[in-house]
Amino acid sequence: MGERIPRRFALLVAGVYLFLYIPIIILIVFSFNKGTFPTHWLGYTTAWYKTVLASHEVRDALYNSLIVAFSAVFFSVIFGSLYVFYGASARLNRYGSFFYVTLAVPEIVLAAGFVSALYALHISPGLTTLIVVHTVLGFSYVIPIIRARHQLLDKQLLEASYDLGATRLQTMYHVVLPFLFPSIMAASLLVFIISFDDFILSYFCAGSGMQTLPVYLFALIVAGATPTVNVISTLMIITSACLIGLCAWFEFGRQNR
Amino acid sequence: MWLLVKRELSFFLAVPALVWQLLCVCFPLMLTLYTSLHTTVPGQPWYACTLEYYGSFFTTAYGIIIMHSLLLAGVTTLICLCIGYPVAYFLALYAGRWRTILLFLLTLPFWTNFLTQAYAWFFVLEKEGLINTILMKLHVITEPHTLAYNRFAVLCVMVYCFLPFMIMPIYSVLQKLDWRLLEASEDLGATRWQTFLHITLPLSHVGIRTGLLLVFIPACGEFVIPMVMGGSRYMYIGSAITHYLLNVRNEQMGAVCTVVSCLLLVVCIVFARFFVRLLQYMKQRR
Repeated sequence: MGERIPRRFALLVAGVYLFLYIPIIILIVFSFNKGTFPTHWLGYTTAWYKTVLASHEVRDALYNSLIVAFSAVFFSVIFGSLYVFYGASARLNRYGSFFYVTLAVPEIVLAAGFVSALYALHISPGLTTLIVVHTVLGFSYVIPIIRARHQLLDKQLLEASYDLGATRLQTMYHVVLPFLFPSIMAASLLVFIISFDDFILSYFCAGSGMQTLPVYLFALIVAGATPTVNVISTLMIITSACLIGLCAWFEFGRQNR
Repeated sequence: MWLLVKRELSFFLAVPALVWQLLCVCFPLMLTLYTSLHTTVPGQPWYACTLEYYGSFFTTAYGIIIMHSLLLAGVTTLICLCIGYPVAYFLALYAGRWRTILLFLLTLPFWTNFLTQAYAWFFVLEKEGLINTILMKLHVITEPHTLAYNRFAVLCVMVYCFLPFMIMPIYSVLQKLDWRLLEASEDLGATRWQTFLHITLPLSHVGIRTGLLLVFIPACGEFVIPMVMGGSRYMYIGSAITHYLLNVRNEQMGAVCTVVSCLLLVVCIVFARFFVRLLQYMKQRR
């Protein structure tokens, strides 16, 4: 529509974008602050970045986060894809709505349920339980994304492949997987970010023995804010932004193809 | 025979995800329901049920906590709708070539966790934060006020965090809207407001409904934002669940809180649907 943009509208939208970005920008700016007290601007320094990068606790938390995120991506993408590929031929498709339960209940209910199941079965929470529960969270994103793409797959391609003498495995490898590749990549990145950023599930299911990065961040905030929190937050925001950019790029590539 | 084997094979390849989901989501939720009804008195058979924990839940101050949670979630949802709808409308109708980048910018903060977002608000609301500094410079106030650590701050951050969840579904519906209908409506002499009320709004109700659910459901159980913004001063149902399960390790009460919050959600959603039906019915009769 070639209509002129109403000014009130444009102002409102600009206001909303300011509302969304001002806190984050201030957060990032103050990660370069000299003072220890977080809301006084005393001058520019990168000392806090050095402190954070040298800290063992941060490094341990980061390792835990990475292990959990990579494992969650690995398991949820493998099993999720298998479900999408073979669920159709095994007539399991109608159980697909099971995977939306995770999104339909508040995350805290999921976490509370899982942790009381752990208590009841006398399993002590730790890295393994965290991976298990993050994988479940991953399913609820992986399965809809991959399934949407899988439904677009032209069944004649598969028939052609079989007619030309390819086995099931060969068809899978040369026809189905290349077709699904963009959505698999997008889903993997999404699950990685969600798992990496997740706080509630980690807080409930990690136990007292280990910390992921968000849980460590929470402990820092509760103990009293220092620029260290800003530094870790800034680094996490930048990581997420880069990954989301990559994810959007894969999705965009999919649309263009 | 070979076909059967093939089908069995695909069954076994598909089933791990289902089993995983059942074990980690459905089983724990069932168990929570069971725990909330089960007595801890030894010697009782497993099916012995009691409403004792629900009784002690409702006789204590938890009624107020539930009210506060629902109120907070409801107000957050409404504010998100009032701000989010115009933004979605703008993005769908006027954004033009800026659309992609604006959408991208909208989703970006939504991928950092709420913890970071809530923490970022300290720098706006604190005594020496942005708002106080600006107001001091403009000589509106003479000494700084603490704007953080109250219910207003909690609400502010809630709206901030949940806004993209409202905008996205509404946008995705408005984007597919047939704009010729609006032109036709205006050609037939309707004012902008009439067009909006009778055409745009009813046609986008699916997006609004999705947005309301996407905001209201997580907002009900939210505990990170109140905890960071309000300290432990304000209890919401999410904080109660955390308190019982992690701090006190009282599984029964934790389960009761969880079940109650789920039930409340269901009740709210059913009530909202009923309300919408009622409105539609009244409109038809008129």
